[in-house]
Amino acid sequence: MEPILILENVKKVYQKAQRSVEALRGIDLTIDKGALLAIVGPSGSGKTTLLNIVGCLDQPTSGSVRYDGRELGGMTEKELAVYRKENISFIFQSYNLIPVLTVVENVELPMVIERRYTKKEMRDRAMQIISSVGLAEMSDRFPRELSGGQEQRVAIARALVKQPIVVLADEPTANLDSHTAEEIVELMERMNGTRETTFIFSTHDALVQRHAHRVVTIRDGLIQADDAITDERVHV
Amino acid sequence: MNEVLRIALRNVLRHKKRAFITAITMMVGIALFIGFDSMMAGLDRLSIENMINLSYSSLKIFTNAYVAERDVYPLDYGIPDPGKLAAELKNDPRVRSVTQRTEFLGELSDYHNSLPVRGIVVDPPLDAKVFTLADHISGSFFGQRGNPAAGVDPGSLAQATNPIVIGSGLAVKFNLKIGDTILLSAHTRYDAQNADEFTVIGLLSSLDPTLDDNSVFITYNTANDFLDLGNLVTETDVRLVHRVNLDETVHDATAVAAAVKSGNPTLDAQTFKELGRAYFDLMNSKRSITIALILVILLIAAVGIVNTVLMSVYSRIREVGVLKALGFRRGEVVWMFTFEGIFVGVIGSVMGAILGILIDLYLIFVGFPLDKMAGSSVVGGLSFWGTLYGTWNPGMIVFAVLFGLAVATVAAVIPARKAAKMTATAALRFV
Repeated sequence: MEPILILENVKKVYQKAQRSVEALRGIDLTIDKGALLAIVGPSGSGKTTLLNIVGCLDQPTSGSVRYDGRELGGMTEKELAVYRKENISFIFQSYNLIPVLTVVENVELPMVIERRYTKKEMRDRAMQIISSVGLAEMSDRFPRELSGGQEQRVAIARALVKQPIVVLADEPTANLDSHTAEEIVELMERMNGTRETTFIFSTHDALVQRHAHRVVTIRDGLIQADDAITDERVHV
Repeated sequence: MNEVLRIALRNVLRHKKRAFITAITMMVGIALFIGFDSMMAGLDRLSIENMINLSYSSLKIFTNAYVAERDVYPLDYGIPDPGKLAAELKNDPRVRSVTQRTEFLGELSDYHNSLPVRGIVVDPPLDAKVFTLADHISGSFFGQRGNPAAGVDPGSLAQATNPIVIGSGLAVKFNLKIGDTILLSAHTRYDAQNADEFTVIGLLSSLDPTLDDNSVFITYNTANDFLDLGNLVTETDVRLVHRVNLDETVHDATAVAAAVKSGNPTLDAQTFKELGRAYFDLMNSKRSITIALILVILLIAAVGIVNTVLMSVYSRIREVGVLKALGFRRGEVVWMFTFEGIFVGVIGSVMGAILGILIDLYLIFVGFPLDKMAGSSVVGGLSFWGTLYGTWNPGMIVFAVLFGLAVATVAAVIPARKAAKMTATAALRFV
């Protein structure tokens, strides 16, 4: 498989109350298209910072991030926003659905922002993906009417509806019970298999790690281990 | 943009109570603005009507020479052929009635004390068509309307020799009542000193201190003898047809005055607005202060909007992070929160305008009974009595609504910009 993301010597330093905190201290990582990769490590190890940099929500202090051969470091904020909009989707630990929008409206939101679909197209695509996450009957409900697992399913549907190349998931199962977490991970694994979407998780959850094809362990801002899990698609 | 609007509107509806309370603040501010403005304009109108009815008429015509020396009320510059002037004026459809007056300086004395007074010579039947002095007189205004004084035979007043009507303030100073006599002295038209006893037939209580405390009225019949007047007329007073709007009244008076001046180069015509310049200046400054006070009320309402939007922003910072992560631009986030403020502002402004118009209509059609509420009173040298009616001022209503909306928009934009400035990661980390 060809690499979709290449990180070279990526460092990130935060200034906090007149002292510098090194969140990432030189990360080298190559991620292939269609990977199912878990980033694990203790709290404060730099997992979320790494995801934010890959997702263009944050800029590295130094080092290079290349997406599909293109260097992201030289992009303006506007270009980064376009890159993010066209290629990347996010799944958050606390789902972060928009509470005043219904399930289907939440799922349509990324397409609304993209402004290249008709209303009917948006509705059809949204309903199709909602069905595939098993929530067709609940499309008109508001997030407050759903369980945590259902909310995360909607979040996954929202992340996948515009067919992104990469989905970044920050602790996607942290707020779910083990049974629901299993369902959610299986759902993401299925989407990874059928749509060839690249999934990158940050997680503490052993279950998520078990389903991943590759597990990268980070500690104190450095990669401590990078293990392929018996999957031929995974490159180390 | 539709999605931004939808999210904003649903957020307002989601927090109905919060939005409603803010809208109520806005409503009260705007309704007070409209109602207060109507009442203040009505109060001004009432004062102006009183000035027109009691002293200034709609416009006064003098000779140019008289105007230059008017302070001393000279009897040297009479209007040539006042009858012809009156006839010309009556041909103008804007003119309702015309009368003549002659003013002189006199001195009132009870043989112990004396006071300088302004004497006003009137033609009673015509004067009553221009001025409403008779309505404020106890006794008689030379046979015109008036309120019968207790214990006084109206017939005896008609028979009185040298009848005089004096201000009630003067009556108090000289301890006079109807039927008493008082000595009035003055220079005649030919500068001879003359004095005679006059019988008080009426007391004027207009609440205008310039009339009540130093004015006396006699008729041309009496004055022709007393002042050797020979029907000399120093001023012609014109009453115009009533117009609902004050600006139209001013416009008519100015137009008639201009016509008089252009047709009679030796004459000067001054409208009530020019004659009462001091009052109009006071009225304008008073109005600015009132508007400033009411604007403060609206600004307090703005604080409510700021608070509502701030609460909304801070409770949804993470949502801002998500929207930004999804690709929302900074401007769209600003608009989303601004729309929320505008929605609340629109609801508050519309409710305020409706309530304000209802208050306004009540003031216009029912009015505020000043005399019943506070009795007749003099406020800052201006007299008020009767019923205070509001004034219909649609421009001010539109201004209040637009101002309310502008305040709501500005009040919402400030916290909205703050929220939109945060990076997606900072917003997502926000607890």
